Order: sequence, then C-alpha cells, then structure tokens
Amino acid sequence: MKMTPAEIIEEVKKANLRGRGGAGFPAGVKWGFLPKDRTRTLLCVNADESEPPTFCNRVLMETDPHQLIEGTIIAAYATQSQIAYIYLRVEFHEQFHILQKAVDEAYAKGYLGKRIFGSDYWLECYLHRGAGAYVCGEETGLIESLEGKRGWPRIKPPFPAVEGLFRRPTVVNNVETLSCVPHIIERGADWFTSIGPPHSTGPKLFCISGPVKRPGCYEAPMTITVRDLIEREDMGGGMLPGKRVKAVLPGGVSMGILSADELDMKMDFEDPRKYALLGLGTAAAVVIDDGTDMRMVLRNMARFYGTESCGQCTQCREGTAWMQKIASRIAMGAGRIEDLDILLETARNMGMMPGLSICGLPDGATYPIETIVKKFRGELEAAIRAQAPQRAKAVLSVLN
Amino acid sequence: MPKITIDNQEVECRNGVPVLQAALEGGWDVPHYCFHPGLSVVASCRLCLMEMMMPNPKTQELQWSPKLVPSCQTPVRDGMVVRFDTDRVRQSQAACMEFFLLNHPLDCPICDQAGECHLQDYSFKFGKPESRMVDQKLVNPKKDIGPKTLLYQDRCVMCSRCVRFTDEISGTHELCIVNRGSRTEIDVFPGRALDNSLQGNVVDICPVGSLLDKDFLFKRRVWELKGTSSICPGCATGCSIRIDHADDKVYRLKPRFSPKVNQWWMCDEGRFGFKYVHDKKRIRPPLVRRGFETLTPNWEDIPEIVRFRLEEHVREKGAAKVAAVLSPFMACEEAWLLALFIRKVAPQAALAMGPVPMEGDDQLFPVGTKGDAVRFTILKEKCPNRRGVEMVLQAAGGTILPFEQFTERSGKGDFSAAWFVGGYPKPWVDKITAKNAANFELLIVQDLFESELIAGAAIVLPSCAWVEREGSFVNAAGLVQSFERAIDPPDGARHDGQYLYEIAGFTGLYTAERVRELMSTAMPAFTSAYAPPELPAHAH
Repeated sequence: MKMTPAEIIEEVKKANLRGRGGAGFPAGVKWGFLPKDRTRTLLCVNADESEPPTFCNRVLMETDPHQLIEGTIIAAYATQSQIAYIYLRVEFHEQFHILQKAVDEAYAKGYLGKRIFGSDYWLECYLHRGAGAYVCGEETGLIESLEGKRGWPRIKPPFPAVEGLFRRPTVVNNVETLSCVPHIIERGADWFTSIGPPHSTGPKLFCISGPVKRPGCYEAPMTITVRDLIEREDMGGGMLPGKRVKAVLPGGVSMGILSADELDMKMDFEDPRKYALLGLGTAAAVVIDDGTDMRMVLRNMARFYGTESCGQCTQCREGTAWMQKIASRIAMGAGRIEDLDILLETARNMGMMPGLSICGLPDGATYPIETIVKKFRGELEAAIRAQAPQRAKAVLSVLN
Repeated sequence: MPKITIDNQEVECRNGVPVLQAALEGGWDVPHYCFHPGLSVVASCRLCLMEMMMPNPKTQELQWSPKLVPSCQTPVRDGMVVRFDTDRVRQSQAACMEFFLLNHPLDCPICDQAGECHLQDYSFKFGKPESRMVDQKLVNPKKDIGPKTLLYQDRCVMCSRCVRFTDEISGTHELCIVNRGSRTEIDVFPGRALDNSLQGNVVDICPVGSLLDKDFLFKRRVWELKGTSSICPGCATGCSIRIDHADDKVYRLKPRFSPKVNQWWMCDEGRFGFKYVHDKKRIRPPLVRRGFETLTPNWEDIPEIVRFRLEEHVREKGAAKVAAVLSPFMACEEAWLLALFIRKVAPQAALAMGPVPMEGDDQLFPVGTKGDAVRFTILKEKCPNRRGVEMVLQAAGGTILPFEQFTERSGKGDFSAAWFVGGYPKPWVDKITAKNAANFELLIVQDLFESELIAGAAIVLPSCAWVEREGSFVNAAGLVQSFERAIDPPDGARHDGQYLYEIAGFTGLYTAERVRELMSTAMPAFTSAYAPPELPAHAH
C-alpha cells in the first residue's frame, strides 16, 4: 500500500509480464491503455479456462486461491478499479466453491470490501459463473456474457480499456497473469525478469497430458523445450512403455501441431512462430502417440471448433462447420485427396493471421487443421488411398 | 466535408459516415448484408472488407494494412485511402459467398425473394459458380414466428438486421439468436410471437428470402411487379412508400427512404391497409336521380349535369344555402378544384372540413421512448391530408366551418344543398349526418362505399382510392408530398382529379403538377412538392 497505482503499473511493465491467457500481450501495457480521465474502472478476471488440454488456472484456483485474490487486489488497485468480477467457466464447480470461500475469508479479514488495510481504497469482488462457451474466454465475449447477453465477441475499437463492461473502461486479465503480480510486487521486477529469456520473463505453468508417465501441471521458466516437458523426470517423465511420440499439440489445441522431429521447440512466446504455430497459447501440451490415427485427431480438432464457433462472423460460422464435415468424412473412410486441398484453402479463406473476423477464434480453428494437413499430409494421403472403395462410395452416396 | 480516396478516385463524403456508406453513395457496389444505415453496426457478415492505408507502427511510413478492414465499421477521415478493387478483397468476397451458399437450399424457383435477393445478386457478381461441398447440407428449420411473418432459417445469412430492428427501432425485442456455430438461428422468445406494429419492416430489411410476408407469400414473382412512388394515406405521418402492382392490382406496399419523414420504415397498418382498394363493394358507375328516375350517365356528361343542378339550386334557394364537405382523404389539388367550383357557382356557400378520424393515441417507437429517442411515430390522426385541405379552405376564403358547426347548422335547416366528399376506407357517416342529409333537396355524394348518404343522393360520384389518383398530401409536419397514380380505377369509376378538373371548368387532361402550378400563385407552399433523395443504387 506504499506504492502508488502508477508505480505498480510501471513495475509490472518493467517485469514485462506477458498475458498468460494465450495471446501474450504485456499486462502492464494493457493497464496503461486505460484513459487518464476515467471515472470508474472495472476489472475482470478471466477464469473461463476452456482451451481443451489446459488446466493451469484450475490448479492455481484449487491450490492457492488467495494468491489469485491477492493479485486481483493489486491489479484492481493499480487500475483504480473498485469492482472485480471473476468469471468462471460453469464446469468449475468445485473451484467456484473454493474460490468463494477464499473471497469470503478475504472479506472477513478486511482484504476486500471497504477501507482495505485501513486505506481509503475499497474493492468489491464478485464471482460469476458462465454458461459453457469456449468463446466467452475471449475478452469481449466474456464482457458480453457478464452483461447477461449472448457471448458474442464485440467489434473493436472501442477496446475494452476504453469502453468495456457496462460501457466503462475495463481490464480483463487471466488467472495465471494475476497470480504472477503479487510476486512481482513482492520481489521486484528484476527478480521476475531474471527468470526465462528477455521476451518471455517469469515462471510459467505448463500442462502435459497424453500417454506420458506423469501427466500434470508443472512450473518452469520459459526456457524449456517440448522435449524437456515430455522427458524430464520432474515433468512428464517420458512416454509410457511401448509408446512413441508421433505429434504434440504444444499450446492448447489452437496453436497447431508439432511433428516428432520438432520437439526442440522452446516453450516461450516467440519460438513457436518458427514452427508455423500461432504462438505459445496456453502452454498445455498434448502428446499424441504413434498408435493414433491422424484422421481422428483431425476430426477431433474440427469437431471442437465446429461446436464452439459462436456463429457471428460468416467465415468462422460456415468454415468451421464445413471443415468438421470434411474431417468427419475423411475419418469415416470416405476422404478424397482434394479434400486436403479444400481444407487448406478453407483454412486460408477463414482468415489466418491476420484474421478476417471479429475475434481470434477462426485463427485458432485453422492453425491445427492447417498444420495437421501440412505436416502429416503423407500419412493422411496414404490413409485415403488405403480406403475400402466400396465403403467410401457408400458413405459418399449417402452424403451426396 | 472529408475527402477520401477509394480505388484511386477521390470522393467527397458526409461527415461521420462509415467508408461503406461513402462508397455506396459514390457508386461502388460493395457487397454487404449486416450493415444498414438505420441500425447499429455489428460488422459480422465480413463481406465489405477493404484494404486501407495505415502508418506502419514501427516506421510510421504509410502502407497497405496487412489486415482487411470492415468498411462498415471504419468511419471516414479526411485524407483516408482505401481500395476495394484488389485481388485480395475479391478473393475474400468470393470465399465469403461460397460460405454463405454452403448450406443454402438453392430453392430460388419457389422463393419469394428471387429477383430482389442479394444472395442471388452477390453470388452472380462476386461469388463462385459451383459449390465444392459434397457433404449433406445442414437444414435449419422453417418457422412460423408471428401472425404475419414466416422465417425460413435455411435461407438465412445471419446478418442479424431483424434482431437489431426489434431491439433498436420497434423496441419490442421479440427476436433473438439461439444456438451457435452453423446451427445459429433467429428465433422468437418462447411463448412470444413477432407481433408489433412495425414488424413488416424485418421482411424489407432481410437481404435474402429468409423472412417472408405471409400476405404476399406466393402471390406474384417480383420481377412482374411495377413500382410506383406514393405516400401512405394511413395516418398523418405521410410515409414515403412504393406501390408494387401488376395488372391493375396492388400486391404490396414497401417503404421508400425519406430522411425527413419515415427514414427506412413504415408501419403494418399502412403496409396492409390497402385491401379496401380491391373491395368488390366499391360504388360505380355514377348515378343521377331526379324524381323517381335513376340514370347512369356517361362520365362526359357529368360536369354539365353537376353544374346545371347546382346552378339551378342556387337560382332557386340562394348561394348561402349551399354547403360542401371536403374530406381529409382528398388530395390538395382535388380539394382546390372543388372549392374553386363551389365558390364560382355559389360564392356565399359554406365550405366544411369532413370528420377527421382519430384512433387511440399516437404510438411512439422504440416502445417506451420520448423526445429525441423516438425513431418512428404512428399518429392517431388516421387520414393523410387534413392540413392540406385546411390550407386550401383557408385560401378559398368565405364561410369555413368545422364539421361540428356544419352538423349543427344543417340540423337547423340552414342548408338545402350539400356536396359530401368521402373517400374514407372505413364507414364514416354518423347518424346525425345521415338524418340531416335526408332534409337536403340536392345531395351530391362523392365516395368509395355505400352509406346512408347514397340512398338519398341526387348525384353519386364514385371516388377512387389513392393508388388510382395523383396529387399531393400535406403531412402532420406540414410537408407537401406528391404521389403518383399506380393503377387504373375499376370499371365505371374515374379518378376524382379528372372529373373535378372538368367540373371546375378546365378542359383536357388533369395532371396534379399543372393544378399545383395554378394553386401556387395563391399558395406558394405548393410551388414544389418534397421528393426524398434517391438511395444509392447498390444500397439495401
């Protein structure tokens, strides 16, 4: 409470704390976008963790909810917000109760509410549970949902920092980002920047799932590689006996796929671009073993986005559904070689970076499809050629 | 006035409009679905994307933006440079059109919108000839969403114009969007129906054949219809409309853009209020009675007969015994011709204004708003031209009576001859008027439908509905607006302007413009009628 809000923002900027939600936008810079002459500011905590293999926010909320609340209080103080909303995905049932208990405890101790620590600053904190939509993890989708509307992302500008929740300047931050804030303030920006490479500072949580010995959530600096995450004894601990890595989705599903010979990719904010991936994403890796048919992976990816597209922008609404149809048909054994080209073209038409749509969902929907088709084209083509012609014909005749 | 450059061409545009609107007004055919100048911007159809010059964030050097920008969401700034005519933009438009048609049923042959469908037009102009999807189409359901409207969800492009209309203009919020992804649908809230006084507009703003008017459904192909500019006579607002007709039959009314009056909208009362035009019970041909004899004279003889009978009466009873009741459904020109004739034959005659129909209260939209927030008004005064007829009466001078005074004085037996003008779509003759009329020795009635007055009338002149006439109305705001003839009157009827023109002593063909010219010497307000600006060719 000795620091002024401006000093906190400066410290966080100096620490180069990049958003842990997926896009990696510097949190301090985001706070700096708030207009100087604003009268009321709102803070939203994005706990709508819905990227498929990701569970680092869940772990944070289960094991140390007070760390999140502390980060929320500091961020709210820095942005001069007096209301903080924590937006939880509806599936976080247990986590909601844990967090609610922690918030109640914080109120009881006087850390939340009026005159925090005897200062003249007050902060109300509310938990809000979503209704189950991937797109509500997008910050403007979250804002719309929080307002009680359909979770359709908003057109920008105006950006939330200028006009967000209830048309007031709003900051939306991820759970993990805010959980870093108390440590930056306590130990200083220099401590934070001493961890990891200069463009990806601070500790980061990594999730690993799939056929590894120790699936779970591990903290490490952003210098580790995908191979480290799988092999290291204190992390994944290697593959299960008899399994070999065939591919890895290193940053949640939306960032794209790595083939087995690209495992030296560094898990930081910059390196994934070199491997034709969208970015670091949520740093949650799924390992796919050599017993898995890539057609099924493709179908699974396409189905997810076909279900989760919000339906607002044309390219995403129609494109994800079309890709889902094609991928399902290929998985059913009625693929055509030209389908792979159509998938690639559709992915491009849906607008890969820089996008054509209101939000980034179609970018995330196209990267896994495109990278799977490009990096595993040989296998997919072989599978299509090996289809039983009678079956393919039967499936096609039903669909036509 | 900011100047912007579109495709290397400099365009001057209005302040504060989006680039899309500036481009449309400048003559560019930029495809768009979700954008409507009367509604908020959602930028979701992604068809109007353009390339824009932007400073490079690092070097500040101007360069074409790496990202395509929606032109509907970008307001014009002086010196802005944009382009639509590039491969990247065209490629994105073509891709978008392919997406729109993926699950579209392609049922144009049975679709009412065919011929005025922007999915057809844009596919032809910007799209691809063939679909590459071999899989089964997703079929979203057809729904009956209200008493007057159908929703064919399978043809929908999810522009959400209809939803925004019920939110922002009618303020009734019946429509919503349900489900997500490609299963997203427009729907009404459970237990509710799309049923408000402005709901017909959602059919107009639907760029495709998804929202359909039950009244017009399967009646006629739109390319057979002819559109005529007109003014709605339903209330004193005087909305600009287009009459869509074929073979002397009116099929539907559509609003015409008019920035001073109705913007882009019209109400259902006006939209479906034309049915009386084709009522079989309309009176025709003209009748003349003398004693027990009833004749149906030729229209050519009518002016002579009318003049003779009235002059005869004036000679016998005196001019002050004559009264004429003008109707607020008359055009200004017709009222002027009648007043001119009466004043000529009987200078001391009384001129009266007929009853002005009032129903309920003014309805303001969005529902529950007042003052500046009001976007549309349905007035309680259910006639188009009270002000215009009053202006004509004022200019005519002499004895001018309100209808109540006329009733009172005719009850006292002050008048022995009267000319009644009707033209009301609904019955309008009250009991006192009917009783008093029995005492008139000479009764001339000009009306659309049978009434108590007709039975005792010495001369019956069939009136025409406004779609069969031409002239001008003066609306509640005092705006003089002209309307054109759309269809011919039914057999045996003749349009009022023509016979009043001849009765008033003119020869030749009646044109409203010519009469307005004559009127304007005494009434400068009629020098010119207000004509709303044409919408840009590619706007919808």
